[in-house]
Formats: sequence, C-alpha cells, structure tokens
Amino acid sequence: MALSRDAYRALEDIVGPGYISEDPAVMDSYAYQWLAETVRPNQSKFMPRPEAALLPGSTKEVQAIVRTCNKYKIKVKPYSTGWYFYGAPLTEGVIQLDMRRMDRILEIDEKNMFAVIEPYAIAGVLQAEVMKRGLNCTVTGAGASCSTLVGATCYHGSGGTSIYTGELRENLLGAEWVMPNGEILRTGSIGSGCGWFCAEGPGPSMRGIVRGALGARGGLGVYTKCAVKLSPWPGPVEFPVEGTAPAYRSPLPGNFRAYTLAFKDWDSLFEAYYRLYDNEIGYYAHRQWTMLGADLGPAFWMLYQDPTKSLDDIEEFVQKQEVKEFTEEMRRSFQLVLVGMSQRDIEYQDKVLERILEETGGWKVKKWLEPEMEQFALLYLLRLGKKNLNFVYTGGWVGNFMQVGTPDFVKKYRPLAEDATREYQEKGLLVDCGSDSMMGCVGSISGGGNCGLEQFGFYDVADKVSTAAAVEWMKHCIQEEAMHNIPPGKEGMYLAVGKTHEELQQDLAKQPATHTWQRKIKQALDPNDLGDRMYPTLDER
Amino acid sequence: MALEDYRDDCTNCSRCSYCKWIPFDHIKSARFARACPSMEYCNFQAYSLGGRLSVGLSLLEGRIGYNDELKDIVWKCQMGGACDVSDKICRYNIEGLEVMREMRFKLVEDGQTLPQHKPYIDNLHKEENMMMEPGVNRGKWADGLDVKNLAEEKAAVVFHAGCRYSYAEGLQKTARMAVMMLRDAGVDIGIMGENESCCGGRVYQWGYRKELNGCARKNTRVWADAGVKTVVTPCAECYYTFKRLYPEIGFTFEVIHVVEYINRLIKEGKIKLTRSVPLTVTYHDPCHLGRLGEPYVPWQGTREKIYGQIPVWKPSKPRYNGAWGVYDAPRNVLKSIPGLALVEMERIREYAWCCGAGGGVLEAYPDFAAWTAAERLAEAKATGAEAIVSACPWCERNFADTVKSQDEKIEVYDIIDLVQMAL
Ligand SMILES: Cc1cc2nc3c(=O)[nH]c(=O)nc-3n(C[C@H](O)[C@H](O)[C@@H](O)COP(=O)(O)OP(=O)(O)OC[C@H]3O[C@@H](n4cnc5c(N)ncnc54)[C@H](O)[C@@H]3O)c2cc1C
Ligand code: SF4
Ligand code: SF4
Repeated sequence: MALSRDAYRALEDIVGPGYISEDPAVMDSYAYQWLAETVRPNQSKFMPRPEAALLPGSTKEVQAIVRTCNKYKIKVKPYSTGWYFYGAPLTEGVIQLDMRRMDRILEIDEKNMFAVIEPYAIAGVLQAEVMKRGLNCTVTGAGASCSTLVGATCYHGSGGTSIYTGELRENLLGAEWVMPNGEILRTGSIGSGCGWFCAEGPGPSMRGIVRGALGARGGLGVYTKCAVKLSPWPGPVEFPVEGTAPAYRSPLPGNFRAYTLAFKDWDSLFEAYYRLYDNEIGYYAHRQWTMLGADLGPAFWMLYQDPTKSLDDIEEFVQKQEVKEFTEEMRRSFQLVLVGMSQRDIEYQDKVLERILEETGGWKVKKWLEPEMEQFALLYLLRLGKKNLNFVYTGGWVGNFMQVGTPDFVKKYRPLAEDATREYQEKGLLVDCGSDSMMGCVGSISGGGNCGLEQFGFYDVADKVSTAAAVEWMKHCIQEEAMHNIPPGKEGMYLAVGKTHEELQQDLAKQPATHTWQRKIKQALDPNDLGDRMYPTLDER
Repeated sequence: MALEDYRDDCTNCSRCSYCKWIPFDHIKSARFARACPSMEYCNFQAYSLGGRLSVGLSLLEGRIGYNDELKDIVWKCQMGGACDVSDKICRYNIEGLEVMREMRFKLVEDGQTLPQHKPYIDNLHKEENMMMEPGVNRGKWADGLDVKNLAEEKAAVVFHAGCRYSYAEGLQKTARMAVMMLRDAGVDIGIMGENESCCGGRVYQWGYRKELNGCARKNTRVWADAGVKTVVTPCAECYYTFKRLYPEIGFTFEVIHVVEYINRLIKEGKIKLTRSVPLTVTYHDPCHLGRLGEPYVPWQGTREKIYGQIPVWKPSKPRYNGAWGVYDAPRNVLKSIPGLALVEMERIREYAWCCGAGGGVLEAYPDFAAWTAAERLAEAKATGAEAIVSACPWCERNFADTVKSQDEKIEVYDIIDLVQMAL
C-alpha cells in the first residue's frame, strides 16, 4: 500500500526531498531488526516495510508530519537509534520517522545539574560532553549507543549506575511531546515557562501517561526534547584510554575502584545487595560479566583481553587451568564500582565494603584486581560502549524473566530461570554457556532497594532450528512463570509483538482497568489511530 | 566468494549502530564522534554498514531489485572501514567490509556499474593507470633522477610510485625526494619507470575483481625479473594492495611504506634530521596504511558449531580489526623532526575519519569526497595545527583540493616533504 502521491508530496514539502525516501532498499534497511526473526513469518529478519522513511530536522517539522498523517490517516512510527524491533513498523501502511537529524545537546546546566537533549543525542556523546563539566548521566543497560531521551521518555531507562545516578525515568525533568493529534505539549515546569527543572510541574504532569514503567515505545506520539538530571563525576574530563583494540582500558585516578565480588551461595550474594543499599556506597552496581554464562563467560573475558585471539579460540581458553580457577572463583558474582568524591570518601567506602564482605563471606575476585583488568572493567562498566557484546556468540539473544523487585523476590525466581534454561542448553539449542547467564541491576533505582535478573539465551540467528528453539524457550519460561505466580518477563513483551489482535486482547484483559483507561487516553489523544499497539488498549466490549 | 557466502554475516547484524560511531570508549566530543562519512552525508539507514548488510540480505532474498538508489547505496561509501573497526569491537562473526565489497563485485558482474566509473576503468584497461593519462608518460616523474632503472638493472628494493605520485604534477617532487632519500641512505633501490603499472587496488575496491589479477601479474613479473625482494611505496593505497590483496591471490613480496622505511633509517642513524621545521602539525592516518594496513595472514578454514550454537572457524580465522595497522612509524618520524610539534585530532589511528577519496567516491561523487575532506580539515583545525600531514597522495590531494575550493586556511603536507625540509 504505497502512500498516495498527494500524501507523499505533502510530506516531502515538510522535510525536503533529501530527507524522505520510499525506495525499497532504503525501506528494507529500516525494516531489518534484531528480534524480528522471533515474531515474523519464516523467521524473517524484516519487520513490515515502512511506506516511507522521513528524517525530520525540528519539532516544527515533526508536528507538520504528524498533522499531515492525521489528514491522510497514515500511521507513524518514530525511532531514535532503532535498537529494538519495537521501533519498527508493526504493520503495513506505516511511515517511519528516523530522528537522527535531531541530535543536539541543547543545554547543559552545570549548576542545576541537568541537560536538555534531542532524541539522537546518544548516551556516549552526552556523557563525553557532561564529563567535561564534572558531571555524569545515566547510561542505560543498553549502553552508549542508545538515545538518552528514549530511556527517559519511551522505555525503562535503567543502567549499571542507577544505584547512584538513578534510572532515566526517574531523572526525567520534562519533555516536549508532539502528541498524536499534532498538538505540542510541554510537560512539567517547562510547560509553564519556568525552565526544565521538574517533570511534575508547575505545568502539566503527564509522566504517568507519556512514561509509565516502560513507556509508550513509539505508540503515542513523538518526543522531540527532554531534560534529564545529571550526577556528580569526580573523575577526569575525559576517559584516558589505553590498550589495543578491542580491549581498551582506562587508568582512572585513585578514587576509582572496580571489583568483581563473589559469594559462596546466592543467599550471601543477595544479602550483600541489601547491605549495599543500607550503607549507601557504590557508583555502579550490576551483574554484567555473567551475562555470557557462568561457565563460558570468564573464558570469554580472558580471551577478549588478548588482541591476537578471537572467539574461535574460546575452547582453548576454557581448557586453561588458570581460566578454570577464575571461572569457579567468580561463579556467583556481580560488579561494583566505587567512586570516592574525595580520598577520604573512597577509603570509607572501601572499609564498608570490607565489612560487608566479611559479614557475607564474600570475596574480591583476584584476576579482576590486576591493574589492566581493573582498568578494562572501569572503562567497560562506566562507558558501556561494548554492549553489542551481548550478541557476540551468535548474533541473537533474548533476555527472559527480568522482573524487578526486592532481592528476596528476585532470589525466588532465580532458580526457576536456571531450570527453565538448562534443557535448551543441554540439547544444544541455545549456547551451552552455563544455566546462570543472568545479568541485571544490583540497585535499579537511586539508593538501591530493588534489583533484577535477566536470563540470557543465545540462539544462532542464522540457524532456523536454534531461532525456533529460542521462541519455544520464551513460551516455556512464560508457562513456568505462570505456574509460580510470576508475571511474564521481557519475553512476554517480545512475543506480544507477534501476537494476533485477539491473542493480545486476551492478555490485556488481565489488567482491565489499566488498558481501558489507556483506551480512553488514546481516543482523546490519537483520534485517528496513528500509533500502534506499543501503547496497548483494551477494545470496548 | 560470492554474496551468498556472506548471508550469515548479513543476518548476524544486531542493528546496534556501533558502525556509525567511533568506538565509544574513544568519544571525546559530540562534534567528532561520528565514524561513517556515508551515513553522515546520506543520512538514511541504508548508508551505514549495518544498513548495507540488511540491503545485502534483501538482495539475497530477492526482496529488492536493481535501481539507481541501490547503486548509490553500494558505491556512496569510501570503503575506508571505520565501520568495520567499530563493529569488531564487539563482533567476531561479521566481515562487514568484505560484504560491502562483495556487493560491488556482484553488481559489476551483473552489469550494474556506475557510469561515472567507466572512463577510469576503460583507461586502466588501455593505459594501466587511474589518472586518465597515457601509459607512456608513467615514468616521467623520475626524469633525470639518478636512480637505477629496473627495466635494465637489478636491485633488492623497488620504489613503486603509484599512479597519483607518477602523474600528479604537484606530487611528483615528493616521490622524487622519497626515492633519493632512500638511495642516499644506502638502500639498493630502483624504479620501474614506464614498466610500473597501477597496483589494481583502487578498482578492486570499486568492485572490479578481475582487474586486480591482471595488475598483480604484470607488476610482480617485472619485480621478479629485476631480482626485487622488497617493495617500497609512498602510497597508502598501493601499500594496502601489495600487503593485503596481492598475497591473497598468491603474490608475496616484502612490502614497506616509505614512512616505515624512513622511520627505520632514522633509528639506524642513516637519515639525520638536523634542520628545524617550526610547525605545529596534525597527522591524518590514511585508512589504507592504518586500519586497513594490517599484514595478510594466510588462512583456510571451515565453520563448525561449538557449545551447541556458537559458530566458529577451525582453525581460527585471522582477525582484521585495525589493531595492527601502521600508526606509530609516521608519528615517530614526525616527532624526530626538530622544532616540529605534533598535535592529535580526536579521531585517530584505527578510528580515524576517512579523507573522502577512496572507494571510487572521488571519481563518482566528488561533492561527497570534498564534504568528507572538509570534515577532516575542521577536525584538524580544531587542534590548533597549522598543517595537516599524511602519508598518502590520495588523501593529500583531496585535502589540498578542498582547501582550495573552500578557501580553507590550513597547509597540507606529505610526511616526506617535512622530512626533506628537516634534512
Ligand atoms: C543490548 C541491549 C541491552 C538493553 N538493556 C537495557 C537496560 O538495561 N535497561 C533499559 O532500560 N533498557 C535496556 N534495553 C532497551 C533499550 O533501553 C531500549 O532499546 C532503548 O533505550 C534503546 O534506545 P534507542 O535509541 O535505540 O531506542 P529506539 O529503538 O530508537 O526506540 C525504542 C522505543 O522507543 C520509541 N521511540 C524512539 N524514539 C522516540 C521518540 N523520539 N518519540 C517517541 N517514541 C520514540 C520507539 O518507537 C521504540 O518503540 C536494552 C537494549 C539492548 C539492545
Ligand atoms: S554492522 Fe555491526 S556495528 Fe553495524 S549495526 Fe550491524 S552489528 Fe552493529
Ligand atoms: S567504509 Fe566508511 S563510508 Fe563506507 S560504510 Fe564504512 S565507515 Fe561508512
């Protein structure tokens, strides 16, 4: 269903001929998505092809596009960097807004510690700019390549430093929102002309609607600006980088520490989480290295340090005695970065950590204390510029379970996640890297208090059998969760993308109040149904 | 190989966008964080490495056919490989640059060529150079030079000037200085004169696979006849071609870039730099000497899966990710020049921004080539340098032309020029 020539010309008039395309090859580059293969017929890597792709350069242009879409009843889907299939069209007949031309950091208010940004200001760039002013921003777990605005307005927005810097959704201080009806709403204090300091007012507080826990993921209008809170950064104005590609590392000053902390059992590990919250130490606290599997991950991190080696050599590393010991030593572990605001502060934090380890029977994994390993860890964890390593084994992974809650809650579903995975790994359908491939925040809100674990399953994206097994595994996990009274994790969201309308309605009916209200909101804000099911609504009976 | 052989590489792209940025660990500012000229100039997703992989897959699946936009997607790219370096920070199982080259081969083999390239290809077939010049004039750059002519004599080392140094008037003197510098330092060196041919590397990267073979056969035959063991070239493109591509098709000689040789001779005390050159300069890493200048490693292997689903190569496949390019030799040479100060740009070494001239862009899309160069000149100027220095005539000419056409205020030098000034 190509766009009518009238509609195309109207859109072209807005952005200019250089910033609109409907060429099939260009459209397929937009349709291509990670995870498409889990929901599309024949495991296609392509989501539905957009009818056209547009690159707006300003809020005014976005508004004009949305108005034109209302006039011609064309569905519209925005994305910022597009690292999720949620950002692609979910059906035919959609135009894609690629927000990459809106890439500015409009303001960094050093004194009041916030930045005003456009959609394509990615975390890695924002971080580099704010560090020059002694500040830092939350980099979501998705890492440096992703849009900070998206984390703040459209999706979850948690990351490894959340325990100190907060989640992006917490850090949102107001947004500029082109609503699906074409009106512009400025939320929070900016809405009443008071500047970007509070998302709740004076001015309209729309956080629950525009934001919620997981955001509308492109299903309800387009965010064109937002302000996010920044945090102190008592480090250098730029990361000093050493080492040979790919394992760059950063020798940071004496007020920085990176530890991998390991424990004899899970109870002790989760107890340490509580004690970190209680004692309010830590700048970064996350389970990161284990995402590649407790059995195989340590071998990978060792080979990664050697630029003459590649993934082809991983078996050789697994066999090494040194690696075997390293693997056992860090089997139940997480990463903690301490950053002292002063020398006394780091000494204090170190002491507190020693006491926590003493009381929980934990230890610092020795290999990660070696200077080069620590420097690697500091750069990796604080910049998060290597998150595409999630895909290193096979080009495909899904993260199941991921439920955020208290450590006691997470502790309960942890064995379930392992049990639900083992069979798929043992049969060789998913990478057999250890049934604990769990990563997640140690403290996913500022100050800590809750955490999460996401169980990774790596499937070979180029292998139909393995890809099908990944889908089966997701369904299996949902069943297991249901049997134990746990709602579906992220796998439920993934699979929902491929569900029929009727199937989705059945799911949404389980939370009728939320989804009925969302229908009413949508009817008011999106009368021509420009958005998609990423803003889910329950049909009127 | 054929595009079909790269289906898994295309399918493996996770759509992360790393190929659009320099490695994140190195980002120092918003202004100079981008890596891919094609993406920045053309803007649509299809013009990134990741985008091209999806277009490759789309072609393989028969979802799209040929048209002019597809040709632009395939050729509006310098093949400088910054994307490949950033991709390989995290990925061992995608050969992005190879896929993009294979797409070019496929289009050429299917007769879907760019008309802008045709005169150059015709001239190469007829006159054996990339400069649209008669072949008989190739040796003129060295007229009157007191150096062995290897058509008649023998030497251990051949100086291969390359097409641009041979024909471009402003650059010929640089080639003359280089060869004399080496001869004066006691190197048993000669030139091929009229018998030198284009290396074939440029057109290979434009998608003309067969032409490389012809050029390689011709050059290596005359080198062998002259008893040559080592090939020295001042051109980064020739360097890459001899170092990486020739051995891939079975022709192996020792290959050294002039700056590596000069570096060695300075260390050995055979070249002494005594005169002060009071300049603040910044060094531009040519793609073909830097990230693409890694030595070829012979390899053959087969794919198998380990740990259930991890596809790996047995034996291990050599990795080309820019880690072992030539970065230090040129910097050492510059640091040896008395009075000269070297300041670095933000994007250097394996993550340097491309000059804009490669991959057939200069010939087919001159505006894009100039835009790319202007970006680099802006970065150079941001360092406070008075001059940008490089070790490749294609980079230098593209910079110099852009300085002229855009009325920029920065000098452009070849390292050899600066060394000569310091002698
Ligand atoms: C490897 C990996 C790890 C991840 N880990 C985490 C994690 O730890 N914590 C976390 O919170 N998230 C995580 N995510 C999810 C990630 O945060 C989101 O995918 C998103 O933040 C990525 O940013 P983006 O710029 O690529 O978003 P996009 O893919 O561009 O967009 C994400 C969604 O937001 C919508 N959207 C984008 N821009 C706009 C706009 N301007 N206006 C309206 N809607 C818009 C899109 O339609 C899409 O539905 C992870 C993702 C990956 C791939
Ligand atoms: S080519 Fe590589 S770096 Fe680029 S999007 Fe794909 S996986 Fe990411
Ligand atoms: S080779 Fe250069 S221009 Fe081409 S896609 Fe890669 S970075 Fe972009």
